[in-house]
Parts: sequence; C-alpha cells; structure tokens
Amino acid sequence: MIGQIIKKQFLLLWRSPVELLLLLALPVVLIVILGSALGNFMDGDSPGMHAKVAMIEHSSEREQFEKFKRDFETDLGLTEDTVANIEKRLPIQTLKTIFHTKEISKMMELEEISVEEKSKILQEDTYTAVIEVPEDFSYQYLSYILLDRKQAPQLQLYENEEKQLSAGAIQSIIKSFQQQLTLESLLEEKGMDQNEAALSTISVEGQQKNLEQSKPITAKEYYTVGMAVMNALFVASTIGLIAFREKQSFVFARIILANMSKWTYFTGVLCSAVIFSLIQLFVIYGFAWLIFDVSWDDLTAFILITIAFSISVGGITVLLTAISYRMHSETVTNLFSSVIVSILALVGGSFFPIGENVQVIELIGNFTPNGSGMSAYLAILRGESIGKIGNHILFLSVFGFAMIMIAAMTFPKRGRMV
Amino acid sequence: MLELVNISKKFKQTYAVKNMNMFMERGEIVGLLGPNGAGKSTAISIMSSLVEPTAGEVYFDNRSILKNPTSFRKVAGIVPQEIALYEDLTAEENLRFFGRIYQIKGKQLQKRIEDVLQIIGLADRKKEVVKTYSGGMKRRLNIGVALLHEPELLIMDEPTVGIDAQSRKYILETVKQLNKEMNVTILYTSHYMEEVEYLCNRIYIMDKGNLIAAGTKEEINRILSGEKSIVIKASHLTNPFIYELKTYPLVNSVDVMDKQITVMVSKEVNLFKDLIAMADEANIELISVNIKTPTLEDVFLHLTGRALRD
Repeated sequence: MIGQIIKKQFLLLWRSPVELLLLLALPVVLIVILGSALGNFMDGDSPGMHAKVAMIEHSSEREQFEKFKRDFETDLGLTEDTVANIEKRLPIQTLKTIFHTKEISKMMELEEISVEEKSKILQEDTYTAVIEVPEDFSYQYLSYILLDRKQAPQLQLYENEEKQLSAGAIQSIIKSFQQQLTLESLLEEKGMDQNEAALSTISVEGQQKNLEQSKPITAKEYYTVGMAVMNALFVASTIGLIAFREKQSFVFARIILANMSKWTYFTGVLCSAVIFSLIQLFVIYGFAWLIFDVSWDDLTAFILITIAFSISVGGITVLLTAISYRMHSETVTNLFSSVIVSILALVGGSFFPIGENVQVIELIGNFTPNGSGMSAYLAILRGESIGKIGNHILFLSVFGFAMIMIAAMTFPKRGRMV
Repeated sequence: MLELVNISKKFKQTYAVKNMNMFMERGEIVGLLGPNGAGKSTAISIMSSLVEPTAGEVYFDNRSILKNPTSFRKVAGIVPQEIALYEDLTAEENLRFFGRIYQIKGKQLQKRIEDVLQIIGLADRKKEVVKTYSGGMKRRLNIGVALLHEPELLIMDEPTVGIDAQSRKYILETVKQLNKEMNVTILYTSHYMEEVEYLCNRIYIMDKGNLIAAGTKEEINRILSGEKSIVIKASHLTNPFIYELKTYPLVNSVDVMDKQITVMVSKEVNLFKDLIAMADEANIELISVNIKTPTLEDVFLHLTGRALRD
C-alpha cells in the first residue's frame, strides 16, 4: 500500500516537468553559476591576481660570494664540499627560485631591474612591489651565518599602495624568506643539517603541510553541498503541496474511504519525500562528480549524512502536510518554500560561509537541517573522519524524527478527514 | 440497508445538519434534494463515515458505521462532488491506483478496470491523461473509480454538476443501468429536479440543514395535489402588486423571481379575471400567464420559499 503511494507520487512528479526541472536542474545551474562567480573568493588561490615584482640588485651576488670566499675561505677552513653547499644556497638566488616555483609564478612575475631604473619604476604603477637588495647583502648574509654576526641583513620592499592585496602577498613571501634566513643561522649554530630546511622548499612545503592538515574546500565543492542541501528542502514543499492538493480535491478522502489507514498514507508521503530527497541528492552529487570532480573519499560517511538529511527532509514534508491538512490551507507550505527555505539557506551557509566569522550564526546554522547537513558534508570533504560528523548525523536524525512525531500529532483525527 | 437516526452536525454555532432521519432499502434509488448550502454534502460525508456527527447514529445493515467504518467502506462507493482524480495520470492509471488502494490485484484488477471503463464509456480514451478530458468525461471517470470494488451502495454527490447535456444523459443512463442490472442501491443528490424525478423512487428534500419533506415522488407531489400553479410573466413588478397578490384571500402562496411570479391557488379557484384587474390597476403589462399542475420544483418552492438552484 505504501508502495502504491510512493509509485503514484513519482509518477505525478515525473509528469510535472516544471517541478522536476526546479528540483533537479535548478540546483545544478546554481552550482555552476555560484561556483564560477564566487570561485575566486572561495578558493582562496586568487586566480585573478597577477602581480609584477621588480628586483633591484645593487651588486652581483656571485661577486659577493667570490669576495667572501677570498676573504674567509682559509680562516674558516672551509672544505670544497661546504663551499659548494653555500654556493647552492645563496639567498638572492634562492629568493629568485621561490618566485619561479610553479605555484608562485602563476600569480607573480619577477623582473630584474637595473639600479638606474629604480626611481623611474617607483614613480610608475606597473609593479606591485619592488624588492631592493642592498649592496653587499649576500656578503653580509654569509658573514651572519658563518661568522656569527649578530645582525642579519634586510631586504628593502616597496609596495604599491593601489595593489594592496597582491602587495600583501609579496610582503608575506619576503617576511617568510627573512625568517628563513634567521632559521638557517640557528640551524648552523646548532650544528643541524641545513638541507632539511632548504629555503626553496620550506616555504612551499609549509603550504603543503597545511593542505594535508585540512584539505581546503573549493568553490565548486562548497556550492555543490550548499545548493544540494538547500534544494532538497524544496522536495518537502513540493511533496507537501501534492499531498495537500489530494486533500483539496477529495482524493485523500477517497483513499481513506478505500479503507487505507491514514497512517499508511502518512508513511507513504514520508517515504516518498525521503526517497525523492535521496534521489535528488544523488543526482546533484553525481553531476558534481562528473562535471566538477567533487568526490567523496569517505563514501560511508557521505551515505550516512545523505540518509540522515533525507530523513529530516521527510520529517519537514509530513509536518507541512499535517499543518496544511489541519489548516485547510496551503499557506504554510507556500511560506516555507518562498521564505523559510531562503532563511534556512542563508543561516545554514548555502550562499556563503556566513558562520565562518560569526560564531553565533554558525551555531544557529548547525541547528538547521541544511546547515547541519552542510557542515557534515564539508567536514568529510575536508578529510575529517566519520567520528567528527557523528553529532551532525545524530542531530539530523533526531530533527527528522521530532518533525515526524509533531506531524503525527497534528495530522487530522478520525472523523475529521474532509 | 442504510439508516440515519437523528443525525446532527454542528460547526461552531451553526448546524449544517439538524436531526436528520433517513433510510434506504436495498435496490432503491433515493434522491436527496436541496439548494446549495442545504447540508447535503455534510450529510453525505457523515453517511460515508468521513465526518463524525455531533449527535445521532448511522447504521448499515443494522451495524453502526461510526463504530465500524471499515466493513461499511468495503461495500460503499462514494462519488464526491469534486473531481477526485489525478489529472496528470491517465484514466487507466487512476483506476489502477485506486484499485490497488482497494486491494484489488493482478488479473482481477485488470478485469475490473476494463469493466469499469466499459461502463463509463472511456475504454477508447483510457491511455489519455485526465487533464485532457472534457468535464463530462472527468465526471464519468469520477464515478468509475467508485465502482471499482463493485459496491452494493453508491452515494453520488451531485455527479452532473457543470457538464454538457450529452454527458449528463450518459451519466443518468449509467446510474439507471447500475441500479437495474447490478442491483446497486444509489443515493443521488442533486439540485437538478428533473434528474431526481427521472431517477429516484423516493426523495428527501433538505433546506438549511433540515429535512423538510420525504416520500415517494407521488407522495411529495401530493403535497400540492389540491392546488395548481399560475406562472405570471410581466414587463415589470411593483411592490403594491405583489402585496395585493399575497393578501388576496384565495391565494395560498406567492413566490417572486425576477419578473416572474408563481401563485399557488386551489384547483377550483379561477383567478384569471381578478389577476388581469390587479395588473391593470398597478399599470403592469402581463406578458404571459400559464396555469399548470404543480411539479416537484413547485413543491420545493412551496416548502422552502426559494428555487432549487438559488
């Protein structure tokens, strides 16, 4: 009997291309639009940034190295191997290597400029930043680490104030570079192997280490989840509306007159909503997997969240059905689809990570089914374990069952079926 | 077969049905007449076991349907006034869905679907979605769904509302056929007097929640058997003219509708001359004056003071 209700519900949805399109195609379109439009902000890699960096060297690093070698090779008793090692890790050469790494070169272009051009380029708006390497910088640096000098040499950075975002990025590279210089000195002092802290790799590896700790979420992934959980809520209003129209047109009464228990019907509506929500979510995630490569490493966790979330959608569906039956009006269902879903989506973070900066909103968001579902999905996308999303799965299940219980209590009693 | 005993239904402070007593014998076609808002649909919802009455009891074969609705529903088919169908499904899909809900399965269900489609004359259109049907075809399918489980009792709530004459005729013939050939007992509500006159053996007349008359067609007609009705059409009507008619000693009742007045008088009374004189005096031009034997419509008008389709 429940199967008949579900089958009929699916047939009705299948025959309503507009509703089907809204439930299945709209989220996909939204993912494409939002994922592309807000991708730059979300992804954090600022693909739109392209900075030009000028480097001015007052003297050749090679010459400084040769001079240092001449001055101290004998005094320091440097072996051939040590000299070769030092030569490989000359600071400016290393800095240039950093700018030429694959990741940095995508965003920044380093150009070497002669000292004579300095005042000219500082007047212009062409460069995002100018790095000035002082006279004897490398000589001073070698003295600092090998002769135990107290003061490390400093690079001079000129930032273009009109390009603050990109200039800030360059500043942080230089800052990290300078810190690295100090670290090398420390390693040298402690007699540790400097190879393990090679400048060129450390700054990049530092970034990679972050990625491993918590895999960043791309815009496509974020909006796939955001739109999926938001649009699944429309399943509740769509199926709730079909159920109310059944009452309005006396079909529900006819079903009751055919001796079907109202609880069988109620369960049929609930199951239809849960199953359709599952199908909708799988279609959206399937599409995102094919087109945007949004994949789930922990498939068990993904399925568990999807089931728990679909139960909560089912709970909302039967509650909307029960209230509209009780009130003899579809107002509540319409209000839900036109206003409440948008509010839930906003608070839950479907449009943008609203809770990231405001903790209260994040807390409230996690008390909405879509917000909790979204947090759980994002957590497993970040690579967190199933144990970390247990509270979300529990919340979604409890929320779903609470809705079902309230709906059952609200559903019209026997003898009040019309 | 079916008996309503002192049924009342109160919504807030208003009685939709008040102290209604009614019975139906097996094999009868019983008419329930009344204008819109008379309480017919509420009465039908109560006798269908969908709505619990505020007071009273409904018995089917001497068993309370309020206490035991399940067994009643197995043998009763309800045709609601609304088109209670899925418009996006075909006739066959609708019948199959409701058939399954009635727990009819497999070959038996297929046979019932085909039989019903034959009865309602939609066999050749069974694969088309209902929303493409005419009003009459939808009404026929609406009846068809109620016939799937071969009910002994069919309760039809205004099954011909808003359809063309041809479909209406088809439905009336189907109702007759169901009663005659399949011995289905039928309760037929309508505000079309001629339908009830054509179909029903016995008639109940309802108004404002009350049953105001009951009996066979002959018994109902006999209410006005000693009278005749004079239907007057005039160019215009004035209050003094109506007042004079109403207070005229030989006139039993006067009903006014637009520019038409129906006057009930005893059979032996000849009012013609006096009527002309009264119209002359009131400067009213009479367009036609018809004298006829009272119909059920006249009885209804006489009992309720308003026309059935008001």
